[in-house]
Amino acid sequence: MLANKFWQTLSRYSLCFVAFCICLVISFKSLASTQLQSRWQHVESLGKDQSVYFYAWGGDAQINAYIQWAAQQVKTNYNINLVHVKLSDTSEAVSRVLAEKSANNNDKGSVDLIWINGANFATMSEHSLLLKQWANKLPNFNYTDPSNNPAVNFDFGIPTNGMEAPWGQASLTFYYDSLAIDGTANNTLPTTLNQLLSWSAQNPGRFSYPKPPDFLGMSFLKYALVMLHQQSDDTLKAQLNQPATTQNTAQVLNPLWNFLNKLHPTLWRDGSHFMQSGAQMRRLVGDTELSIAFTFSAPEVPAAVKRYDLPKSIRSYAMQDGSLSNTHFVAIPYNASHAQSAQLVANFLLSPEAQAHKQKPSVWGDKSVLIQSTLSQEQQALFKTVEPHPSALPLNSIKRTLSEPHPSWVNAIMQGWQARFGVSQ
Amino acid sequence: MSVASNKLAASPTLKPHKSADIFSKLVKLSPRFLLALLILPVIGGLISVLLPAFGYAPVLEHTTLGLHGFTMLMQTPGLTHMVMLSVGTGLISTLLAFIITLMILAAFFNSPWLNRIQRLLSPILVIPHAAAAIAVGFLIAPSGMISRLVSPWFSGWELAPNGMFPHDSFGISIILGLTLKELPFLLLMALGVLAQPELGKKLRQQHKVALNLGYCPMTAFFKVILPSLYPLLRLPILAVLAYASASVEMPLILGPNTPPTLAVAIMHWFNDVDLNLRIKASAGALLQLVLSGGLLALWLGGEKTIKALFSDLLTNGEREYGGVYWQKITTVLTVFAISFILLSLIGLIMWSVAGFWRFPAALPEQLTLLHFKSALMQMQSPLFNTLAIGLVTTLFAIIITLLCLESEQLSAKPLSRFTSLIIYVPLLVPSIAFLFGLVWLQQLVNNQAAFFNVVFTHLLFVLPYVFLSLASSYRRLDPRFAHVAASLGATPCKVFLHVKLPQLFAPILIAAALGLAISFGQYLPTLLAGGGRIATITTEAVTLANGASRRTSAVYAIMQMALPLIGFILAWVLPKYFFKSAHR
Repeated sequence: MLANKFWQTLSRYSLCFVAFCICLVISFKSLASTQLQSRWQHVESLGKDQSVYFYAWGGDAQINAYIQWAAQQVKTNYNINLVHVKLSDTSEAVSRVLAEKSANNNDKGSVDLIWINGANFATMSEHSLLLKQWANKLPNFNYTDPSNNPAVNFDFGIPTNGMEAPWGQASLTFYYDSLAIDGTANNTLPTTLNQLLSWSAQNPGRFSYPKPPDFLGMSFLKYALVMLHQQSDDTLKAQLNQPATTQNTAQVLNPLWNFLNKLHPTLWRDGSHFMQSGAQMRRLVGDTELSIAFTFSAPEVPAAVKRYDLPKSIRSYAMQDGSLSNTHFVAIPYNASHAQSAQLVANFLLSPEAQAHKQKPSVWGDKSVLIQSTLSQEQQALFKTVEPHPSALPLNSIKRTLSEPHPSWVNAIMQGWQARFGVSQ
Repeated sequence: MSVASNKLAASPTLKPHKSADIFSKLVKLSPRFLLALLILPVIGGLISVLLPAFGYAPVLEHTTLGLHGFTMLMQTPGLTHMVMLSVGTGLISTLLAFIITLMILAAFFNSPWLNRIQRLLSPILVIPHAAAAIAVGFLIAPSGMISRLVSPWFSGWELAPNGMFPHDSFGISIILGLTLKELPFLLLMALGVLAQPELGKKLRQQHKVALNLGYCPMTAFFKVILPSLYPLLRLPILAVLAYASASVEMPLILGPNTPPTLAVAIMHWFNDVDLNLRIKASAGALLQLVLSGGLLALWLGGEKTIKALFSDLLTNGEREYGGVYWQKITTVLTVFAISFILLSLIGLIMWSVAGFWRFPAALPEQLTLLHFKSALMQMQSPLFNTLAIGLVTTLFAIIITLLCLESEQLSAKPLSRFTSLIIYVPLLVPSIAFLFGLVWLQQLVNNQAAFFNVVFTHLLFVLPYVFLSLASSYRRLDPRFAHVAASLGATPCKVFLHVKLPQLFAPILIAAALGLAISFGQYLPTLLAGGGRIATITTEAVTLANGASRRTSAVYAIMQMALPLIGFILAWVLPKYFFKSAHR
């Protein structure tokens, strides 16, 4: 009896409590969202009418033109002067922020926004050079479906912690001159790493990769490294996702050095000179010096053909054994002079219209980071494509994606490479 | 300096006007200002490189002096190779340019061909190094013009062959580029010396006498002209040597990268993420300084040795050293050099308008203005920066130069030998050695004023050329005009503005065009002082040179050539319409 009453009271109380909790959660949630909203209004009101110095690699005319387009858009939307500071290497901007920090310049930094990923992000986050917890609060960040999409929360396996907003996605794809690789015996298109080696041995001097630490050259080495460890036992394979240490470096990288020792004598200029960048590699394909090359931004290939920079006979394809893939981001240094304005720009770069414009093959062709299901009908319509160019990568070519190894391997590979191949004999 | 004020005080009728007073003061101070402007940045820059090289870099939390930086430098793989490359390319290219200059002068002295060659080569002088390197690269690449002209009918190449140029590990491409670029400079410098009225006349007469005595024309040149000509050519040659051994643009565009030349490596170290590399870079900058200094000493030593060894030959009476053959060799060499230059320019122009142009076709499949259109769209702000920096720098340089030269005339004594030597300092000290220190200093003083920093740094390189170009005309000015004006009661200021400047209109414009050309061509100073924020046509051209598109690169190189050329054309045309009466 008493017990019964007790249970009644308890259930009544607990009902009230649950109801209260629900009310609390709802109100918190709405409070949180209004907080986010008011935060954003605050950012908007502070960020308008200023200049943003966007430090971004400037070696590609198409990308530069896209950034110019974005500059016009934020000029009309927010009256922001977006200044593209063209870098030949992103590390220049990293060293600039680092220099400012060591000179105690903590709030008047010259870099407002920086295009970054991988090793440079790892360096900046390690030295606490980036503004934290802003990217995940951008209104347009929700279009990336962040809770189900690790690609926008991890950069080469390192959590981004809201320090960088995703901008685009890239996979390592290859392209070749179909007049030079004509499919005759000893000259058939290589579609795996091993075939590439044997093809290069039979057609010496027609393949090479940009000199590390170039981003694209490093990507090729990472692709080779990951592929060479496909048959390795699981403990060794797992090392690729761990930081490089003095203990594991030799064991993990030795297969790569053995492979390169075989590959290098067959390369362009006998592997004694390497091109400086992926852009230069593309030019050498245009010159017919190289017959096969690779890129992290597949749409640049048809675009280059349209601009006459590559011959009409160029065709794109993805390696059958896998394509290295990653996301690239924009970040704000901790000492940026115009952090709010930079957030406005980053948010604009994430907007469906900016992402759709970027994905157009004629503009830049960089793959969008937005998830289609989060978009409205009208927004999805922005992404509709027209008939692909004959030199473009055919749709759904990428059968298998390979994830990037831990960023510390970049440095390990670079140092090993420099010691072995940096000085021609 | 006191003479001018004495003059004013001694002639009470002149009644020093207030503005004249300020003017005289300004004029009197200007040589010191010029000195400070040239010495302080160079010395400050050198010190700011010296300290970190020996381990003193408070910013990096290194305050213990030591040889750490040099140890790091010595451990760099391939350092010897880098040093050899820098020394070799610098010395060989200067030597080649010098020898070819002498051969051309000797073979065509007193011949109308000398003027024709001069007219053909002088536009080359205004082509910035980066543009020249791009053009040469187009020519000698495996898929370049030369290889296209012989393919496939002769060579059988259907695809571009495996060549070694550019970027060959011996630096031959760099030598080729530097030689072709420095040859016109040295030649025009020599012709400038010979164009001096009295000296030139004397030398030509001596040459004639030698011919009458039966000397072969080339022998006559080497025995009679060269001994008087060389001392006046020495400084330009040393400047060329110092530049060539430490330049960045040519090796960056044409040189190897396993390893690069020392100067290029230093630049990479300075720009590296790892700030500790700056210590190594500073040590490298010192090494570069020693190398360039060593080369200059070597050159001067070689000069002495040659003088000692061959002075007997001057008076041995031998008239003929196979002059006919040498004449032929020189003609072939000249034709070769000129056609090389012309071919690379033609290639450059064709690339800038080429549609598809697959190897081995000698001509593009179609012509298009697309590349110009898209480049001009993106060129606006670099173009504006280039012009703004060039104009501000040149204007400033011309004002200081004019004031200095005026002070020389007012005080009636030439600038001290020290001052005249100091003017050459920025040309003789390798810029890579002091620029980094200078940039570091500039960052300490003002971090934000990138535009001002760039202008200031450009001034260091523009000022010497503007001064050298204006000095001779200013000193040659007939003093009687100024005397007449002064006796009519004109203040020094008025004499300067209304009598001297109008007469100097043409030389001032030439100096301005030269100053603009120098400013337009600066790569390293713009890149460093601007912190990469200030893009000019030249920095864009170098960035794009190893980039994806030969066509875009060609457009930028053409713009680089067009800008200074427009300047010189204006300098040539304007005096025909303005101040004509003053210049008779």
